[in-house]
Amino acid sequence: MTPLLEIAGLTKRFGGLAALDGLDLAVAEGEIVSVIGPNGAGKTTLFNTMTGLYGPDQGDVRFEGQSVVGLKPNQITRLGISRTFQTVHLFPNMTVLENAMVGQHCRGRAGLVSSVLRLPAQRNEEERIRDRARDCLSFFGGRLSGYRHDQPAFTLSYANRRRLEISRALATEPKLLLLDEPTAGMNPKETLELTDQIWRLRKDRGLTILVIEHDMRVVKGVSDRVVALDYGKKIAEGTYEEVAHNERVIEAYLGRKAAAG
Amino acid sequence: MTMARSELRRRAVRAGLLAAVAIVYLCLVGMVQAFSTRNIVGGNLPLSRILLLLPSAVAASLAVRPRVRGGVTMELNMGEAAGAGASIGLIAGAAVAVGIGIVNLIGQEAVRGVFNAVTSALMLTLTLQRSTVVGTAILVALSTATGALFALAGVLAPRLRRPIVTGLTVVLLMGMLQSVVRVMLVQLGLATQWLYSVTFGGLTYLGAVASFAAGMAAARLWALRREAAAADAAERAEAGGRPRIPRAMLLVPVGFVLLALPALLGTFLSAVLGQVGIFVLMGLGLNIVVGYAGLLDLGYVAFFAVGAYATGVLTAAVNSGSSLHPGLPFLLAVPIVVLIAVAAGLLIGGPVLRLRGDYLAIVTLGFGEIARVLVTSDWLKSFLGGAQGLIAIPAPTMSVGGLHIDFRNPQPFYYLALGFCLLAAFVSWRLANSRVGRAWNAMREDEQVAEAMGVSTVRYKLLAFACGAAIGSLGGALFAVQIGSLAPSSFVFFISIQSLAIIILGGMGSIPGVIVGALVLVGLPGFLTEFAEYQPLIYGAVLVAIMLYRPEGLIPNVRRTRELHEEEVEQDAWLEGVPEPAPSMTLGEAVE
Amino acid sequence: MADGTTEVAPKPTATVGRLARFPLRKTIQLVIGIAVVAGAAWGAYRTISLGTFTGAAWRDLVVFGVAQGAIYMLIALGYSMVYGVLRMINFAHGEVFMFGAFGSYFVARVLNDHGLINSSPVLSIAILMIAGMVCSVAVAVLLERVAYRPLRNAPRLVPLITAIGASLFLQNTARGFFGDQDRGYPTPDSLGGSWTILGIPILRSSVIVIVVAVTMVAALTWFVARTKTGKSMRAVAEDKDIASLMGINVDRVVVMTFVIGGMLAGVAAVLFALVFGLVGPFMGFVPGIKAFTAAVLGGIGSIAGAAIGGLILGVLESVGPALFLTGLKIPGPNQLKDVFTFTILVLVLIFRPGGIMGTGEPEKV
Repeated sequence: MTPLLEIAGLTKRFGGLAALDGLDLAVAEGEIVSVIGPNGAGKTTLFNTMTGLYGPDQGDVRFEGQSVVGLKPNQITRLGISRTFQTVHLFPNMTVLENAMVGQHCRGRAGLVSSVLRLPAQRNEEERIRDRARDCLSFFGGRLSGYRHDQPAFTLSYANRRRLEISRALATEPKLLLLDEPTAGMNPKETLELTDQIWRLRKDRGLTILVIEHDMRVVKGVSDRVVALDYGKKIAEGTYEEVAHNERVIEAYLGRKAAAG
Repeated sequence: MTMARSELRRRAVRAGLLAAVAIVYLCLVGMVQAFSTRNIVGGNLPLSRILLLLPSAVAASLAVRPRVRGGVTMELNMGEAAGAGASIGLIAGAAVAVGIGIVNLIGQEAVRGVFNAVTSALMLTLTLQRSTVVGTAILVALSTATGALFALAGVLAPRLRRPIVTGLTVVLLMGMLQSVVRVMLVQLGLATQWLYSVTFGGLTYLGAVASFAAGMAAARLWALRREAAAADAAERAEAGGRPRIPRAMLLVPVGFVLLALPALLGTFLSAVLGQVGIFVLMGLGLNIVVGYAGLLDLGYVAFFAVGAYATGVLTAAVNSGSSLHPGLPFLLAVPIVVLIAVAAGLLIGGPVLRLRGDYLAIVTLGFGEIARVLVTSDWLKSFLGGAQGLIAIPAPTMSVGGLHIDFRNPQPFYYLALGFCLLAAFVSWRLANSRVGRAWNAMREDEQVAEAMGVSTVRYKLLAFACGAAIGSLGGALFAVQIGSLAPSSFVFFISIQSLAIIILGGMGSIPGVIVGALVLVGLPGFLTEFAEYQPLIYGAVLVAIMLYRPEGLIPNVRRTRELHEEEVEQDAWLEGVPEPAPSMTLGEAVE
Repeated sequence: MADGTTEVAPKPTATVGRLARFPLRKTIQLVIGIAVVAGAAWGAYRTISLGTFTGAAWRDLVVFGVAQGAIYMLIALGYSMVYGVLRMINFAHGEVFMFGAFGSYFVARVLNDHGLINSSPVLSIAILMIAGMVCSVAVAVLLERVAYRPLRNAPRLVPLITAIGASLFLQNTARGFFGDQDRGYPTPDSLGGSWTILGIPILRSSVIVIVVAVTMVAALTWFVARTKTGKSMRAVAEDKDIASLMGINVDRVVVMTFVIGGMLAGVAAVLFALVFGLVGPFMGFVPGIKAFTAAVLGGIGSIAGAAIGGLILGVLESVGPALFLTGLKIPGPNQLKDVFTFTILVLVLIFRPGGIMGTGEPEKV
């Protein structure tokens, strides 16, 4: 079977520096894959290139068998790849519910005329957008529901901002979810909770997930497979145990941590 | 706790000097003299004298406000306040006296060689039509007294101060809008002699007292209503009910007033309202581009010009200065005009898609200028009439049961404008609360993230330009109808600024704000003909003042308020250092 | 890059058509680019083959364009420096220029009454420049203190709108103060006529303008590169917060920037008045916009960019309409001078938003 996501020879250079250097990666449907690597290894660049924020210099990204290279970010989102950002990127002055409703944008079709005339189709759609947005927010239980719907996003706590970002990404109804350091800035309890929730995303919603993570407990907890990057190249791939004990990885990444810890 | 003496002195001197600068400025720029003929109350209080005392009054009442220092509120007692106010008035008055002295020393002619406004008429106004020494002395005394009085008002409890301020404002407004109010009263068949003096034009003393009392009563009532409403709301919140009167019910009296206005106001004032209508349309259109989508367009006049010229060319039947004169009926021409404007919107929107913020502003300004130069040029003269412009644009007419209506007449024109405005407001309102509006909102807040969440920013930017252009072109079409001839000199950068000032004053993204903005910025100068000359000056001052003190405008859109205030330092902090998907940031990461 | 073939796919939910992948923007850019170049070439070819203008006429147009460009250059530097330090377009800079012209005008009148302007023209021009600088600097500093400083950390459009308001306010203040008629500016008689330099007769006023402007730019370059204040300016332009942590007084640096911008505008104003012989309250608007265009053209934030942009714009504006439009039989080509300027601005921002000397996107600096 063709994998859901297939990356082949992906290269992205900034000036002389190759942030991605001939990267190959395949993700099957229903898999949770962690991408690890030291700072500057090209993890976020990988996400940015996959979602169309950058055009790659070489290589191809195939999603469900079709190439997404050259498409605009909004088109890629419509195809079913959605993401969160390393540093939270919400619409700070829109309410929590509105943030999630923006995620539903690509699943609606109401345009100028139907919005002005408020045709029945548009009203139904608006109702549906609202319901789905609520549903995505309710994934985190009461944390983003109820009275929080009408709060502007900037009033949320850091952890809730991360959760709202995930909800907003869910609202685009993706098949593949890209999480960029979802637990950064969370306390150990919240991290644990999120680890569990990443599992549930697959179990309840059938998502395929690619996650960039620094916290090794999370990586260990969620991943079917771990991919380690360094200087834009894949240096190891396999189960958590395999990668964690890979010498190049330890040298490039865990080695530093061990030395520091 | 009372304030240290030295601090009080410093504050009074500062306020006094500011007031002095303001008064001297008002004199030199010519405003004082321009307003010397409009009597507000009786024959001794023309607007010019109020203008001379206003800076001291404002400075004094603001300077004595209690302030919080280190958690302690510093208040002034009555004596201190009066003293401070008097010195503020004295300083301001003295500045004028010094100015009069300098002019007399150097000679009026020499000063006039630099400052145009220094005429013997101005000197007479400043010395209250008396001899130099006596007049100046009286002016300084008046200024001192005003300062003291307003400082006293400034330290009153808000419960007392508000009615007084409202009362004075009502007197001032009634005096300034004398022609409007008088015409309305006459149309209603009411007597006006008791209210407005026949000889002086302004309020009679009785009228002034009545207006003041009415203002005070209104302020008091308003305060009571608000208390009651607050209590009511609390009660309802507990009961979980809905408001007693649905808000839609409020529209009925508003609609009635809107329909009845031309009958009350007569032709001249209806014409002013028609003008307001044109600018409400301009404001609503620009509001979509700037307020909703966050694209600062400084060339909005281009769409106004497109609307006006397209209407002119399409409806003209005889030779209007253009080689084309198809003579379409107005209502048939309007949809074509809108289509042309949409095309123009896409044409202007296309090249600027990638630009953000200030660059976008300057490029659109360039487009506005291009539009003006093109309509003036000989190159397009055969179509658009060149520097001579277009003439003989017919007025749309209608016959209802043998009654012939010519829409160039101010009263029918008002209804035409009202209809267009209602349509545009409805469209704006529906769009704001829809999937389209949400996409614009998201795009304004963070373009790249909106794109990543599936919003096609290209499409929605173009859509914003197209909608803005369509509504603006309706304004232009009305303009062509109202004037009947078009000259290129009507389509200058100032129109763009006027539209921008309207939405800035009213509040970006707020539809009621646009209406209020247009009424204040276009209506008031229309009613007060002396103001016309100072309109650009006032617009400039309004733009600066609003941005400095109340960036959300008079009738804010809730969300924009949050956006424009700096209280979300916290918010900025977490938006800072965000990895813009910019190469440099990624490189920076790599270096880490 | 992507290859066109598609494998058999596991039933995608949404597909993107071939059209969506079409690089629309690049294509439009290419089409516009080719159209502009072809139109310009055709127009130029036709004009030259028509032979309406002699070689001497072209030369005079170029020289005049250089002089005009030198004035734009001085004003453009004010925009560019303020943009570099504060990332805002000081829309009211044209009015700073205008007040400089008025300030020097009143001094010029006094000098003229005493006959000094003709008896010692060099000294008078020096005095006029000082007067122009003082006035422009005063207005620029006042503007910064009252209107811009409170908004230093506001969202970017807020200071821009304030600047537009300030521009309108200052323009109409001058109109109220000095009247809306243009006033004749007394110029030394010896400024008329021309000097022959390298066998080419050049208007004396043009020579003065070019010499003064080049001197000013050289001095500015030295100042920014060598002095302590210049270095702190560059530091603030790089990063305000870090600069202030390094012990640089940001407020002082910003004021210095406005002072320097004001000085250059004041000098430009005197040169402008000497060339055109008129001052008026609305004289600042168009040169202001043009100078801004020049700054963007050269790459905003860079001194060399503003200088080059100014010169290019001046020459294009002076030569362009005659060269490109006459041949196309467009009546009144000089009326379209401003269209020319703004079209250049639009084209630069479409093709090279960073300007000639700049790199990359302007908004991501």
